[in-house]
Amino acid sequence: MSIVLGAWVATGLTLFIFTFLYRDNPFFKLAEHLYVGISVGYTLVKAVDTVGVRLLYVPMIEEGDWSLLIPLGIGLLMLARYVPRAAWLSRWAFAFIVGVGSGLAIPRVISSYVLKQIEDTVRPLVSMTPDGLTFTASLLNPASNLNAIVLLIGVIAVLFYFFFSVEHTGPVRVAARTGIVFLMISFGAAFGYTVMARMSLLIGRLTDLIEFADPQYGSPSLVLLAATVIGLIVWSRWGGRARTGPTDSR
Amino acid sequence: MIFFRRTLPLLITFVCGIVFMAQYYVPHPSSEELLTTVNKWLQIIGGFALILGVTSLFHQHAVKIRRQEPGWGYSFALYAGMVGTIAVGLLAKGKESVDGGLTAFGWVYSYTMVPLQGTMFAILAFFIASAAYRSFRARSREAAVLLIAAVIVMIGRVPLGEYLIPISGDITQWILNVLNASVRRAILIGISLGAVALSLKIIFGIERSYLGGGKE
Amino acid sequence: MTFADRMLRLDRRIIFLLVGLCTLIPLLYPVGLAINISSEVRGVYDYIDSLPEGSVFLLSLDFDPASKPELYPQAIALLRHAFRKNLRVLGMTLWVSGTGMAEQVIGQVASEMGKVNGKDYVFFGWSPGVSAIIISMGQDLYKAFPSDYYGRPTNTLAVLQGVKTLRDVNYVVSLAAGTAGIETWYVFGKDKYRFELGGGCTGVIAPGLYPLLRSGQINGLIGGLRGAAEYEVLVGKKGRAVAGMDAQSVTHFTIIILVGLCNVFYFLSRSAQRRSEQHR
Repeated sequence: MSIVLGAWVATGLTLFIFTFLYRDNPFFKLAEHLYVGISVGYTLVKAVDTVGVRLLYVPMIEEGDWSLLIPLGIGLLMLARYVPRAAWLSRWAFAFIVGVGSGLAIPRVISSYVLKQIEDTVRPLVSMTPDGLTFTASLLNPASNLNAIVLLIGVIAVLFYFFFSVEHTGPVRVAARTGIVFLMISFGAAFGYTVMARMSLLIGRLTDLIEFADPQYGSPSLVLLAATVIGLIVWSRWGGRARTGPTDSR
Repeated sequence: MIFFRRTLPLLITFVCGIVFMAQYYVPHPSSEELLTTVNKWLQIIGGFALILGVTSLFHQHAVKIRRQEPGWGYSFALYAGMVGTIAVGLLAKGKESVDGGLTAFGWVYSYTMVPLQGTMFAILAFFIASAAYRSFRARSREAAVLLIAAVIVMIGRVPLGEYLIPISGDITQWILNVLNASVRRAILIGISLGAVALSLKIIFGIERSYLGGGKE
Repeated sequence: MTFADRMLRLDRRIIFLLVGLCTLIPLLYPVGLAINISSEVRGVYDYIDSLPEGSVFLLSLDFDPASKPELYPQAIALLRHAFRKNLRVLGMTLWVSGTGMAEQVIGQVASEMGKVNGKDYVFFGWSPGVSAIIISMGQDLYKAFPSDYYGRPTNTLAVLQGVKTLRDVNYVVSLAAGTAGIETWYVFGKDKYRFELGGGCTGVIAPGLYPLLRSGQINGLIGGLRGAAEYEVLVGKKGRAVAGMDAQSVTHFTIIILVGLCNVFYFLSRSAQRRSEQHR
């Protein structure tokens, strides 16, 4: 029973959000505000349960670990931000968090993102095999010597493009313009993948709607689709005349 | 008073920053114990930061309802959703399922939050198609390069594309693994060096905007 | 206004309708074209396949409901593979709004494969702090998660026998939808604690992870719904990801045709403009 009710509610809310494609309307606004409210409520419950109960109450009260009063104090200091006269106290908490966070991050980021990445960029340009030195030129193998050269050129060219302390003239200009070509190809690939991702999200939602069109749930997809369309027509006739939405043809 | 309001926070940032930068290079058991303890604290403090982020939203919509500004009915719906979810959540002690059965909290999560959030992002598919039709024009040589790369990747990443043009899959793989990887690597190195520089500025008190909160 | 100009100003609701139909029709009438397996996805599959029985596999489901269509099928396929290999599965999430989904997917696949909570797998749930929780787990797993999601003390669970820190985990896979994901697991985890790391991610962030893949910092990458489909084929149980591939194909070609038409109309419009300027 709760599953059937859930199917109807889920379908209704999904269709309310889809109505935005026609025009901004009260159905969408209602769903949008519900979404924000429910997300915030869920986050608060999880935070209270995880931090309040599992990480603070149980270790302190049931296991006697009173050292946790220190992070509790720092957390409460952070909330002092909302008390105008005591707001400056929150600076101590933020200073602690930011100081520790920066200190933890610096050596790890240098090791992971700078050193390791440079290490993989400056790879040998020829390979050593039992027969001696060879140059592997297979484009399909990302680890081949030819691709190592292309990768090296790409990294240096793009770094030159983003280095604005030196004027982009002469050889620097050649490097920078090569960098732009590499950048455009990468952005093109990123666009292709973004299209793939967005379409996948739509495929997922439509798959759920198709599942909920099944008679075992009472066919909420079909019934609520008809109801939403009728609702939109009624609203645009009587309520939505003065409004312009995001979908005007200009 | 200036010491407590301005100097002490900067001192705290400096000391914590230096200590934890040094900790990475010191394998002594007390250093590891310090790391374990402080990270345990950060887990708890992180929870308070979440609550901080969420309460500002609370306040914003409460004002709207109190002043009965246009659209305050929707703010009321927001509050109803929030309070309802908190009520069922606390009743279920924060659990979505108990002994394999769905709680009311789990029901709210599965049948309202998941579809709402999923659909919010799913409609982007329509907008990306419309934006591509309106704006993706080869106005210059660079734009043409971008366009061609995007088309190759879109063809090469779907079964129909690989079926019609088998080489598109290989070219896509080369673009991603070599050309794209080199660009992203350069961007990653650049951003990381920038982040390290900013972190050092914060630790040494040159960058102070993170402090906020209250008068000097 | 020429025909080309009129077409360039087409009401976007017509495009919305076209996209909607191109997604819906292949879902209702699938064809089922063959899916080629990429080396990135094979990297994750081959590594899990090489792990001996009883190895410890940590799956971090770092995504929220917005990314469910892409990452949930990846999670299902990975869990089926891990449970089939009789690995000890540790589940968790770094994203608070993903906790319910993470619990659901692990419970669902575990009961499908006849696995017992506490003996074959454990679900830690969520803990705040992102980098702090990873470092905590690397230092002392039981201090990071003193109890599992259901309140049972973790140091009493059979599945965690001999596992004290992340150094004792054989393979970590993070299914990520953004920051607080694969990069975080590497920077605050693998860099110091030296476990093997693989990744699954949404299509949006996938291109940005190739530098880590190339340098060997991650040994495989399952990118988007296509990656999930490839993994489903490898595991031998086709699910939602494979079912969505036909719709994916049609929508991609629809976008390509739309972009092509946009450029054709743009160049026609531009040349018509030039001709009218010449006549003046």
